[in-house]
Amino acid sequence: MRFLTVLPEFIPSSSVRETINQILPEMEIVNGLNFEKNEADVLVATTFTRLGKEELRKFPNLKYLQIASTGYDNVDLSYLKEKGIMICNVPVANKQSVAEHVIAFMLIFLKDMLFLNAELKERKSWPILTGSRDLEGKMVGILGMGMIGTQLARRLIAFGPSLLYYDPRRLSLEDEEKYGLNYVSFEDLLSNSDIISVHMPLTPATSGMFNEDTFSKMKDGAIFINTSRGEIVVEKALISAVKKKGIKAGIDVYVKEPPDFDSELFKLDNVICSPHIAGVTAESQQRFLTETISNVLRYAQGIDPLYRVEL
Amino acid sequence: MKGYETFADVINRLDLLPIFGNPGTTELNSLKAVDDYVLTQFDGLAVGMADGLSQFSFQPHLVNLHTILGLGNSMAYIYTARMNYSPVIITAGQQDLRHMSMEPLLSGDLLGFIGNNVKFKYELKSASEIPSVLRRAKVEALTPPIGPVFVSIPMNVMDEDSSYRPPEPTKRSYETSNEDAVNAVSNLLNESRNPALVFGWEIDLFGAFAEAEKVAEKLGCPVYGEPLAHRSPFNSTSKMFGGNLLPGTTLINLKLLQNDLVVFIGGDVTLYPYLPSPLLEGKKVVFVGLNINPKFGDFYRANVKSFLGELVGKISKKGNFSRPSDFQISTRIANEKEKMGVTFVMSRVKKLFSDYVIVDEAISSSTILRDVLGYSPGRYFFSKSGQLGWGSPAASGISMKTEKVLAIVGEGSFMYSLQILWTVQKYNLPVKFLILRNGGYSILKSYSLSYTPGMEKKDYLSFDLPTEKFAESFKIESMVAGKELDELKWLREGNDSKLLVVDVDRTIPKLFL
Repeated sequence: MRFLTVLPEFIPSSSVRETINQILPEMEIVNGLNFEKNEADVLVATTFTRLGKEELRKFPNLKYLQIASTGYDNVDLSYLKEKGIMICNVPVANKQSVAEHVIAFMLIFLKDMLFLNAELKERKSWPILTGSRDLEGKMVGILGMGMIGTQLARRLIAFGPSLLYYDPRRLSLEDEEKYGLNYVSFEDLLSNSDIISVHMPLTPATSGMFNEDTFSKMKDGAIFINTSRGEIVVEKALISAVKKKGIKAGIDVYVKEPPDFDSELFKLDNVICSPHIAGVTAESQQRFLTETISNVLRYAQGIDPLYRVEL
Repeated sequence: MKGYETFADVINRLDLLPIFGNPGTTELNSLKAVDDYVLTQFDGLAVGMADGLSQFSFQPHLVNLHTILGLGNSMAYIYTARMNYSPVIITAGQQDLRHMSMEPLLSGDLLGFIGNNVKFKYELKSASEIPSVLRRAKVEALTPPIGPVFVSIPMNVMDEDSSYRPPEPTKRSYETSNEDAVNAVSNLLNESRNPALVFGWEIDLFGAFAEAEKVAEKLGCPVYGEPLAHRSPFNSTSKMFGGNLLPGTTLINLKLLQNDLVVFIGGDVTLYPYLPSPLLEGKKVVFVGLNINPKFGDFYRANVKSFLGELVGKISKKGNFSRPSDFQISTRIANEKEKMGVTFVMSRVKKLFSDYVIVDEAISSSTILRDVLGYSPGRYFFSKSGQLGWGSPAASGISMKTEKVLAIVGEGSFMYSLQILWTVQKYNLPVKFLILRNGGYSILKSYSLSYTPGMEKKDYLSFDLPTEKFAESFKIESMVAGKELDELKWLREGNDSKLLVVDVDRTIPKLFL
């Protein structure tokens, strides 16, 4: 059985090779796809490597593609299906990281961190009063209750807010009790929440879901956090809501990445931005690596790998 | 006819059977013609059972105690019956009057001893008095303010011969119309800027839930439960219910800060501990009820059901109160699941026992219990006196009338009346016990945290009690619950008495300011 790992150009293969040699020495490691053909049965790749039809044709013996990431937007799934190639991802490695990132956004706003930091460092003043508030008792609306949503709810429980959620697929009553969740309609979630965090997949139904109309239904001054997909939010409507309704926004994802830095979004005080990095932490990368290696080893031993993507 | 024959016939005609008690030699001759007797293995438990059953059925029940000693053993329960406005008829045997000057064994001043803990007390002088005195005792017990009465029964009276005229059946009606009260209170409400309603236990006693809700909805102002209500003061699922007042002046003041008028209907103020804030100062305070005895404010005597029925037509809208949904409780339940917090336990109890009568003696958990399980007609009972040891016999008494009774009791409280399990087993009573085991006197520890810091660590406030083993020794099925509380389903199943111990979170709750 032949194994190949394709790393993006910016990750030096030498350090990875050192580790892999200790685990699966027969694994070949390359940067990029600058070759005509490879006989690998098993291919490991990240989302940074495009694996369209043209690229996948370079692997005539491919039987199993392991993506070392949650997303696999970079892969031509129809080609895999046509050729009967199995694909697996790692959906469990960065959920907790995203959840923590969301809570960081919440706390930065609630605790008035930007103001306080600026007061001390830039204005050298010692403010006595601030708008700092507690997360306890706030109404947090979680839109989308998949793995990230539940990880977020689990972590929020300790803070003691009320938790509302909406998802087209409602959880079981047992899970709602476990995570302290109250199921409400999308409309009720919008109008009741002090904080809204979006965790929906990008689909035709969710594209542009947050627009002028939806922002208008939110509470004035509410906190809006998007760590899912940029296309779910109409950026212009968000900018307008920040300016007119005092919405505070924590944004990790953008329609175009990297985004247009001239956008007004990057000039607003009430907006905190991060570069689509909510799920990327040192720990999550370690988890991705561990899960990816484990899955490949499973396959090498003749055991079905985990997290198979339905084609 | 002999006195004991008269006694047996009278209590049967007055519908006072069975007798709850624990007799001694002094009482034996009075019971010669009585078979319908429920024995408890401690005198006070008989009063507790009769109290629970009398409240639940709104019918007086009779207790038979053994002389001044049985009376002494029962004093806490009698005091509780008084505080609970429970129409219990207590009797005790007295020594033969013909040698009282010799102060014989087991004799004593029963009437003086029971003091003002009953509203009527009398020592029989002759057998001919038995019908009229017992009838009067029943009538007195049921006359507002409803409460316990006492009859002392000298041994010699029971052996006396006398002519017998059976007592007339008793009749009662609490229908009272008080037009003045309706007009005065409606005027106050209509003139008020921001009134608040506080409902109390008489709403349950007189079945006035629908009327109470209509008045609250018409006014549009919040309804609060009186502090430490011993019966359901309102339907807590109503959007008009704003929660319970807590028994402290400061806490009450804070809750009613915005209100200029506070109307207590069928309830009163209970305070503990002392707090220096003057109670509701500067506000107009009015009480309405039949039994209550308010210590301040204006008072109108009226039956709350008819009063509210008439009031609703005379009041106008004063607000748009609607209690917001409590979403945060889901967070608390989830948060507490791992450590078996009481909110989590009660949420599970609510799912399985919503059709049960709840008798609450989980003192340090009572606030949560009330909040989560809520109030509904005839489904909540609590000791107004603060007594420990009342809940288990009271629930057992209630279970003689309904099969669905759940006593929720702390393991410390349960020890006060453990012997009730013997009676439960002997008479096959269907009462279910849920024991919240928190390892000590949690209410004392909580108080210590606020007022006597450091004492919460005292060795004598903590203990480990194998309650489930005690139950087994009385042949009552018992279990200790696991993490998922699936054993609650077992507890509910069947009509045999069962006892379930739940080892709850031992974190000391913050219950005092």
